Amino acid sequence: MDITTLVSPENVIPNLKATSKKQALQELARHAAQITGLNERAVFDVLLDRERLGTTGVGNGIAIPHGKLAALPRLFGVFARLERPIDFEAIDEQPVDLIFLLLAPESAGADHLKALARVSRLLRDRSMCEKLRATSTADALYALLAASEAQAA
Amino acid sequence: MDAANHLILLGGGLMLAAILTGALSTRIGAPLLLVFLGAGMLVGEDGPGGIQYSDYGTVYTLASLAVAVILFDGGLRTSFRTVRRSWGPAAWLATVGVVITAGITAAAAWSVFSIPPVIALLIGTVVASTDAAAVFLLLHQRGLEIRERVSATLELESGANDPMAILLTMLLVSIATGTLQAQDMGLSIPLSLIKAFVVGGALGLAGGQAISWAVNRLMLAPGLYPVLVIAGALTLFGLSHTLGGSGFLTVYVAGIVVGNQRLRAQVVIRRFHDGIAWISQILLLVMLGLLVTPHKLVPDLLPAIATALAMVFVARPAAVALCLWRSRLTLRERLFVAWVGLRGGMPIYMAIIPVLSGVPEAGLIFNVTFIVVLVSLVLQGWSISAVARLLRVEIPPAPEPQGRLDIDIPSNLDQDIVGYTITPDSPAAGLSREDLRLPGRSRLLSVLRGNVVVPEQGLDHFQTGDFVLLLTPPEQGLTLDRLFLAKDKKTRRVALADFVIPGAAPLGSVCDAYEISVADDQRQKSIGQFVSDTLGGTPGIGDSLLAGAVELVVVQTEGDRISSVGIRLEPDHGAAWETVVPRRLLSHIRRWRLRRPA
Repeated sequence: MDITTLVSPENVIPNLKATSKKQALQELARHAAQITGLNERAVFDVLLDRERLGTTGVGNGIAIPHGKLAALPRLFGVFARLERPIDFEAIDEQPVDLIFLLLAPESAGADHLKALARVSRLLRDRSMCEKLRATSTADALYALLAASEAQAA
Repeated sequence: MDAANHLILLGGGLMLAAILTGALSTRIGAPLLLVFLGAGMLVGEDGPGGIQYSDYGTVYTLASLAVAVILFDGGLRTSFRTVRRSWGPAAWLATVGVVITAGITAAAAWSVFSIPPVIALLIGTVVASTDAAAVFLLLHQRGLEIRERVSATLELESGANDPMAILLTMLLVSIATGTLQAQDMGLSIPLSLIKAFVVGGALGLAGGQAISWAVNRLMLAPGLYPVLVIAGALTLFGLSHTLGGSGFLTVYVAGIVVGNQRLRAQVVIRRFHDGIAWISQILLLVMLGLLVTPHKLVPDLLPAIATALAMVFVARPAAVALCLWRSRLTLRERLFVAWVGLRGGMPIYMAIIPVLSGVPEAGLIFNVTFIVVLVSLVLQGWSISAVARLLRVEIPPAPEPQGRLDIDIPSNLDQDIVGYTITPDSPAAGLSREDLRLPGRSRLLSVLRGNVVVPEQGLDHFQTGDFVLLLTPPEQGLTLDRLFLAKDKKTRRVALADFVIPGAAPLGSVCDAYEISVADDQRQKSIGQFVSDTLGGTPGIGDSLLAGAVELVVVQTEGDRISSVGIRLEPDHGAAWETVVPRRLLSHIRRWRLRRPA
């Protein structure tokens, strides 16, 4: 599973402005809706449903909100680096500043889980997170994400 | 006179050296046990010490004492929770497991040495039991925390299998020395075994109660309570042997009973026993090192190592495989249990029995045992952390709650007094007395602010720096921690899984999100309940099961309830292999049977 099949340079947001978890999810949903043509509200609701089950703030400043949408043609990711860390109700109660949004078609099945696992593994890498935090342009962030492929392979 | 003073100097010096070595490294584990053994060998006849020491009788007496103390301490540290979780597999390992290990090791010894079968069986039996002291020490080294159901099994086994091994050793010794005749063998053996277990166990239960009762009822100088406890334990040990029971089982059981009661001076008693168990450990290993004559080990070295390797790689795994056949442990967990068949002072101690009883070839038995223990400590003891990581049976350590003061009050009151200093980030800071929701039976006793007691009426808000004293039933301690302590960084939860979900979340939604298929009537259940039901028994942190393509892992428990479940997207393949294969097989069979009528 390639990270580059999930995100493209246009889906990398280098300085997302948000003051709350809800606002961050809204912004991400808006961005995803713009590019995929999905209904913004539908995306937001799916994400919110998943957060109600339990936070996707996985610790160490990382959040991986995700969900499934029937209307989506393929796996779709958005990577955002927040301008300021926000409270995401993360399991370690630390503020979050790196978010990887992953949306999957209803029919993706095992591919959805594989993609999620790939993202989770990528962001568990502490040195990768440090590099991402120290980078401020979309192209450079994308280059870092793409370069992780070479290492993983 | 001089000899006595030298001995004291030597003993004191060795202990000091041992303790300092321990302080130097937190991860020294097995080498530490080896240091003690090595120290004994160094001062012995082949080392620079040159002390000729072969008084097996004295060593046996002192070693019995040391082993009794170590087992009692082991019991003190064993919570009922551990017993409840793992008595099944541990009981199998401690009885049948000992016999299997002994048998296979004996076969190996018999094939490499030219000795009669009885002697080979003695060798096998003497090395068959895992060493409680070594297992406790190595499983609790700093920086290592093993999944509870694994460590509980190993600890319980190590405490419970010594009686079995000692009884078998005694039995074989009587056969080897000819004191036991063939016609006695039929009934008396199982009878004496059963008697040893029943008398030993019953005396341990009753004696443990009696010790606790005495501690809580008698008014003594505070320093005497720990002494009362140890004196009681040693009395039980002797009494049990006199009555035909197993004294080792007695002290272990008594330790468990005493350790799980609320006692006056509990902290002092714990600390005292911690220390005295260490002294016993050092004493035992140094004496045994002293007893062995290294140059006499040389001719038997290679066959003895072969025996040791057979024990480590064949006998122990076979015993574990058979005894844990029907247990809930995963393949990886079983492999770990098989690997941690640690031998320590106990087998060497048992090897003295044949020497004292004048068994022919007793010297050989002792030497082989010594080498087996050495091999086990080096090979298994040294690698235990690495193997735990390799097999992924360790769990990241939980941060200790800091900032809580516990005050011991007499046990017949089922209440604790706890104190907290309010820090800027503690949830209670800034709350008013009314807003602070204390759990049901907890009472606020007093609030100290700058050395002055704040009267209850004058207390409007809790401030940083306030010292709060509360009276609370012990089970509400955790709730209070949450009210007064700054929230910890929940690192454990982060490391255990990709995502963490509260135990109360509905199973149906979780299954939809992670491609798990589940029966319709189960969907209303909570995920915690589902995991708990599927695992069976009392859930422990790190326990896991496969569901669809993901693994569900217990991240947090409250009592017997699962409060957080983790989702691991890339499952542990050891577990996967075990649960997936039978399930696939079943579904194949089902399909085949469906197809047949057509």
